[in-house]
Amino acid sequence: MTQVRGDRTVGFEQHLMNKAPNSVEKSSRRQFLRRSVGGASLFGLGGASALLSFPAQAEKPAAGASSGGGRSLGKEFTYDVSKFYKTDPALIHYAESSKIATGFKELHAVATGPEDRVYAAGDQAVRVFSKTGERVSEFGLSEKPRCLAVATAGNIFVGMKNRVEVFDASGARQARWAVTGGDAVLTAVAVVEKDVFVADAGNRVVLRYDLAGKLLGRIGKKDPERHILGFIVPSPYLDLNVGADGLLWVVNPGRHRLEAYTFDGEIRNYWGEESLGLKGFCGCCNPIHFARLPDGRFVTSEKGLPRVKVYSAQGDFEGVVAGPELFPNQIENPNANATGGVCMDLAVDSAGRVLLADAFLREVRVFTRKK
Amino acid sequence: MSAPMDKPESSRRQFFNGTVRGAFLFLLGAATTLLFRRSQPKRTVWQIDPYKCICCTNCATKCVMHPSAVKCVQVYPMCGYCKLCTGYFEPEPISLDTGAENQLCPTGAIKRRQLEDPYYEYNIDEPLCIGCAKCVKGCVLFGNGSFFLQVRHDRCVNCDECAIAIACPSQAFQRVPADKPYLFKNREHQA
Repeated sequence: MTQVRGDRTVGFEQHLMNKAPNSVEKSSRRQFLRRSVGGASLFGLGGASALLSFPAQAEKPAAGASSGGGRSLGKEFTYDVSKFYKTDPALIHYAESSKIATGFKELHAVATGPEDRVYAAGDQAVRVFSKTGERVSEFGLSEKPRCLAVATAGNIFVGMKNRVEVFDASGARQARWAVTGGDAVLTAVAVVEKDVFVADAGNRVVLRYDLAGKLLGRIGKKDPERHILGFIVPSPYLDLNVGADGLLWVVNPGRHRLEAYTFDGEIRNYWGEESLGLKGFCGCCNPIHFARLPDGRFVTSEKGLPRVKVYSAQGDFEGVVAGPELFPNQIENPNANATGGVCMDLAVDSAGRVLLADAFLREVRVFTRKK
Repeated sequence: MSAPMDKPESSRRQFFNGTVRGAFLFLLGAATTLLFRRSQPKRTVWQIDPYKCICCTNCATKCVMHPSAVKCVQVYPMCGYCKLCTGYFEPEPISLDTGAENQLCPTGAIKRRQLEDPYYEYNIDEPLCIGCAKCVKGCVLFGNGSFFLQVRHDRCVNCDECAIAIACPSQAFQRVPADKPYLFKNREHQA
């Protein structure tokens, strides 16, 4: 029979016909075996290639491994600041006189207002307490508050992450405005007559607004010609207050000092030094909060080494309100410092009592000067 | 000369068929292997949850590797670029410079580079780091916690019973998927 193999002009059927019957190879046992072995080899080769292409993270040989126990480290490997956890009793000028249980799951800020009422902000609400600690009123917020201030007229200014909301004494919202700047993180607000000052830790600047929320100026940006070094804000703490001296005082936490500015942004004064000792401010960035006593003295709070201290109006160390001994939770939970979870916000009332928002206890702790 | 019927001559079509069959078997083998691998339980490795770590120093002393497979890492987006970096400087430094007496790390494993006054960038020299967490404690206590410990998988032997995990007082050691072997801190935990 004539083979037409290779002739492309031949149709498929004809090709089949041409193949049959002589062209059909008879499979011998040997051929079958050969093909099976070849197929299995290719199958295995495929699997091996897949393993090589997508290797499992094979267990590594434990080179250098040994039993781990028995080693010990010298004291040079221990970060030890425990000697600063104790305060000389002679320097403690205040005693804790009472506590206000806020009932919040998260406590973020405290302020005082007319009739020495205590305003606490937490969760998504502001709660108002009498000066003796009874709850007077409460109103809700649309999101987590970060800071608050109370005007002499009783209006309440609440700072959220990137906006300010204003409420009247009954809790009805009067105004709101957003703070521009993508990284805005509001950490403090202060109100005085016609001006509202807002600390934006994210953008390292203080914003000056009028009462309606119109931006009037930016304070504290680095400006060597005006001798302004700029705020260093390693963690989200940047506090401010307006004192009876008519100056805006702002913490520069990375420089461990408080700086005084005119409302137009000219720097007028500063004080503070870095030190783990009581006279200075410790760590990378302190103080985290401060308040002004009626006589112009400063009350400051610090994280890391949690402590509250009093300085004269000129910035000289005077004494301790609360030493690290009173904040065991903070000392045992160092991670809270790093995550912005420490609330040591401060307020003072007309009697000179110091009110401290303790986030761990979710209480406002009240300290009164010892007689 | 052998007759064509005894040993048939290979046609182009037969060669093509053989190649296709071979490729098919090759791919089938590869696919079967991968499917088998995928059906196996996901491999896991040890890692430290940095938010649970309390800097107890066990990582440096309990690991079967010498020095420990746990190393300090530094995450730039978390760094506050503190002037007085408490992860780099002794609690009470004589001055804020690179003098050995001012450096916190006992093995000198932290290197710093000035970016712009007063900002510095910190890097870990891993062969020198023993995972003692001294710098981590300084950083979390006062700073943002951008220094933290991680099990480095280029040296961890992934023991079934990790000696550090057994000793860890805060249960910070956990199994994580091998394809996501690190637990980094992030800024969302802040602010």
